[in-house]
Amino acid sequence: MIKKTLDEKAFQLLKEKMEQGLFPQWVLTDPDIYELEIDKIFGHTWQFLAHETELKDSGSYVTRWMVNDPVLLVKNRKGEIKGYLNSCTHRGTQLCTADHGNKKNFTCPYHGWSYNLDGELIGIVAGNKVYGEEMDKSEWGLREIPQVASYQGMIFGCLDPVAMPLEEYLGDMKWYFDILLGRSDGGMEVRGLPQRWVAKANWKATAENFAADPYHVQTTHRSTVELGISPEDPLYAGYGHQIVTENGHGINVITSKTGKARVPYQGTPESMWPMFKKNLTPEQDEILSGVTVFVGGVYPNLSFVSPIHGTEGHLHNYLNFRMWRPIGPEKVEVWCWFLIDKAAPEEYKEAAYRGYLGSFGPTGTLEQDDTETWARIVEVSKGLMMRDKELNYNNVSNYLMGFDRVEPDESFPGPGIAYPTTYLDAISRSMHENWFKLISKDLFVKEAVK
Amino acid sequence: MSSYLSIPITAHLQMEITNLLNMEAYYLDNGKYKEWLDLLSDDLTYRMPLRETLEGVGANNVSKDASFFEETKKSLTTRVNRLYTKSAWVENPATRQRHFISNIMVESTKNPEEFKVRSYFLFKRSRGSTHDIEEMFGERNDIVRKESNQWKIASRTILPDQSVITTMNMSMFL
Ligand code: FES
Ligand SMILES: [Fe+2]
Repeated sequence: MIKKTLDEKAFQLLKEKMEQGLFPQWVLTDPDIYELEIDKIFGHTWQFLAHETELKDSGSYVTRWMVNDPVLLVKNRKGEIKGYLNSCTHRGTQLCTADHGNKKNFTCPYHGWSYNLDGELIGIVAGNKVYGEEMDKSEWGLREIPQVASYQGMIFGCLDPVAMPLEEYLGDMKWYFDILLGRSDGGMEVRGLPQRWVAKANWKATAENFAADPYHVQTTHRSTVELGISPEDPLYAGYGHQIVTENGHGINVITSKTGKARVPYQGTPESMWPMFKKNLTPEQDEILSGVTVFVGGVYPNLSFVSPIHGTEGHLHNYLNFRMWRPIGPEKVEVWCWFLIDKAAPEEYKEAAYRGYLGSFGPTGTLEQDDTETWARIVEVSKGLMMRDKELNYNNVSNYLMGFDRVEPDESFPGPGIAYPTTYLDAISRSMHENWFKLISKDLFVKEAVK
Repeated sequence: MSSYLSIPITAHLQMEITNLLNMEAYYLDNGKYKEWLDLLSDDLTYRMPLRETLEGVGANNVSKDASFFEETKKSLTTRVNRLYTKSAWVENPATRQRHFISNIMVESTKNPEEFKVRSYFLFKRSRGSTHDIEEMFGERNDIVRKESNQWKIASRTILPDQSVITTMNMSMFL
């Protein structure tokens, strides 16, 4: 089916262009590519589901989506977090439609089958009378998500039972997660449910916008310069390091012209600094003490930002994770979580939350302008010139920033390949490479075998 | 029984408060954000909690801890000032929007100067030359107050009816 429309020649050309730091425009919203991505990328990589603080007690549950797979994530009596396909094994009805709650068991509204927190089928209405003794309930438990694992409280799922383990997949990103999520005693906590909205965008573009593109800050978010909140210097978001880690992940450590933030430890209360030092290695501490903004991503569709944001004259830091759930080539459902150090003073948490609402999420003044540019990319992507797979019109996007020109900075204290600027397309190119590796896997082999 | 003397809601009072909300919608729909700010009291609280999907009959589905807006007059002023810059791209070029306000119900409160006002909103927006029509709808619970002979909005809680917002951003005030 796919072979009809995606020929090997187009892929060969794609590969050639990518090696030159170019990314053909046709792939962004191509419907066949989109189907391939869902299957070959989202079917085999780790996707973010929830943070452990969203599941406090035994019986706590949240419902989530891995693209189109409905997930029921529950904490069982042993305190383990279990992920099930949120679909009744009798006729496939969605079992639970609530966003969150607490239950001892889940009963399907269709014919009344019920399941316990371990996913076991424990009740069939009129069971023996209609199914007889031969019906073995243990065969009809909820289907488990093949892999569920967590790191620093972040719970991920993977639909591929033989995919590499989460920690191996995260690789060097773990070291940076240890800073973002592990700096405080007790870790981070999520406030409330994530905000959700539907943006007009392709998931690759939003993931790249966060993980790999500090260069857009000076123009997209220029209103903050006009308001006197951000510096006039167009390089202001470019100071620091861009770090490429394995599997398409990456992080930008943005500092400032001086190499250090205006305020140490992202403007957190001074009383918390000794705790950070205690929980971090000297190298991690060196980075945290001087950073202004951490922004990055875990491939394919999790991004994060940890900025310093001022409301009413005070500076606050928070951690925002967002998951880009593709719901078509031109739409993403954005899930946006606010996290804050559990150990932070309550007033600080509240003020940081207000700072978050003012900057990111659908009402955030920064993100509002991002949504406009994302939409403008997909709104022009249907043209014949854009869609031309033979690239007769040279419709390729430019990922040449720093290409073959900026060398890694060996003195950077963290792992990964660190480049001495964040105005760079190194993470983007690594995301593209990973994208290509995943979607082209086994694509043309089958044809040859036939 | 309430212990205070409730003030009768006269047709005149209902009309004054309806006018306030209509004037507000007019300002918002015509980019007169500074005029809009003048309709808000200095001690304003302006909130928009998330709606959640919860199991159970009559469950309170207004989120207790997650919001889209938690604003003061000061923070709204910052948001408004931004919309007067040249590079707030979300509104440059400006979107076209309408706030349809209806089902206005006025109740008295313990404070004879303050009234509780419930209203429904239907918000529609058109952007650029796209064919999409974005919309949002829900309810607003306000406290309005007469301050030196001028009606002001002293508090607003906006309750959207969607748990997943379908406008591509929320640059609008509701
Ligand atoms: S589909 Fe769930 S009990 Fe029949
Ligand atoms: Fe941005």
